[in-house]
Amino acid sequence: MQTPLPSSSGTKPEMKEHCSHRADCLKLIQLILDGEATEQQLARAKANLESCKPCIQMYQLEKEVKELLTKRIEKRCCPEQLVATIKSRILSFS
Amino acid sequence: MATIPEVMSDTPTSDRNRIGGPTGPDQFLPDSDSAEQPLANAPSRGYSEEQKYQIFNKEFMPHIDSMYNFAFRLTMDEDDANDLVQDTYLKAFRFISSFEQGTNAKAWLFRILKNSFINDYRKKSKEPAKVDYQDVETTYNSEDAESEHTVDLRAESVSDLIGDEVATALNSLPVDFRTVIILCDIEGFTYEEMAKILDIPIGTVRSRLHRARNLLKEKLRDYASSMGYKEENDE
Ligand SMILES: [Zn+2]
Repeated sequence: MQTPLPSSSGTKPEMKEHCSHRADCLKLIQLILDGEATEQQLARAKANLESCKPCIQMYQLEKEVKELLTKRIEKRCCPEQLVATIKSRILSFS
Repeated sequence: MATIPEVMSDTPTSDRNRIGGPTGPDQFLPDSDSAEQPLANAPSRGYSEEQKYQIFNKEFMPHIDSMYNFAFRLTMDEDDANDLVQDTYLKAFRFISSFEQGTNAKAWLFRILKNSFINDYRKKSKEPAKVDYQDVETTYNSEDAESEHTVDLRAESVSDLIGDEVATALNSLPVDFRTVIILCDIEGFTYEEMAKILDIPIGTVRSRLHRARNLLKEKLRDYASSMGYKEENDE
């Protein structure tokens, strides 16, 4: 409570140029982007993502890669012929 | 080495604490390794013929595009994807009594498709990289690879890649790594659902996904640098 918000006060925490837990931070970042992080993990990561330059860059990269996969890869739709075949084969089952 | 116990731990994250992601009821996904009896051990539900068709049409068929996309991304071949999807749906109908109406049909179907793929298609897959998962595990399972490996790449370097390039990078990954990325990033399954689809613990889902993404980033980095999106040009 006593700690003022970093941006609103003049005592901005120094941005860390080096991260000593890159590998672990990366795992945490992936959990967050996958929607699988706990409140605790979120809180811990939030602090990092405000003060650690390598972590911010890792976050941006992971987010970008996930978006490439989600949005840019073409989704193949099932051919209508196959839908028809499956439906007719099911009907001849019993 | 600094560790983050919650991340490293194999203890599944409880739904209560999880942020985001659907939290549906725990669906029943029967265990099996056999292609002939994909749904062994499942309790039988006495559906009438009419109910069977209704479940099939209302709960299974709506996922057919996702299933086809998954099959195509696994086999990387349209004919094989056709066969795989057809086999899966016929199997699903045959074993429909082991499906509990109203539960997670998509995960249930994906699990059957993935088992069919492993049992029937993987051997004859046209995939050029015949990397056995065991080899890959050995290569990437070392403590070093697991804990310290991060790929040196900037977001701006990959942001101009087009879909085909991303797909090619994804396709070049060994199938087990490709699979977790498809399930998580393309189909949006939760870790818990993926664990059930793949028959592996949640901790393994996490670590496999982590390694898969490192591999993918390496491929993307190669692509990006060959396309001239070099770090130096980003200034
Ligand atoms: Zn950091």
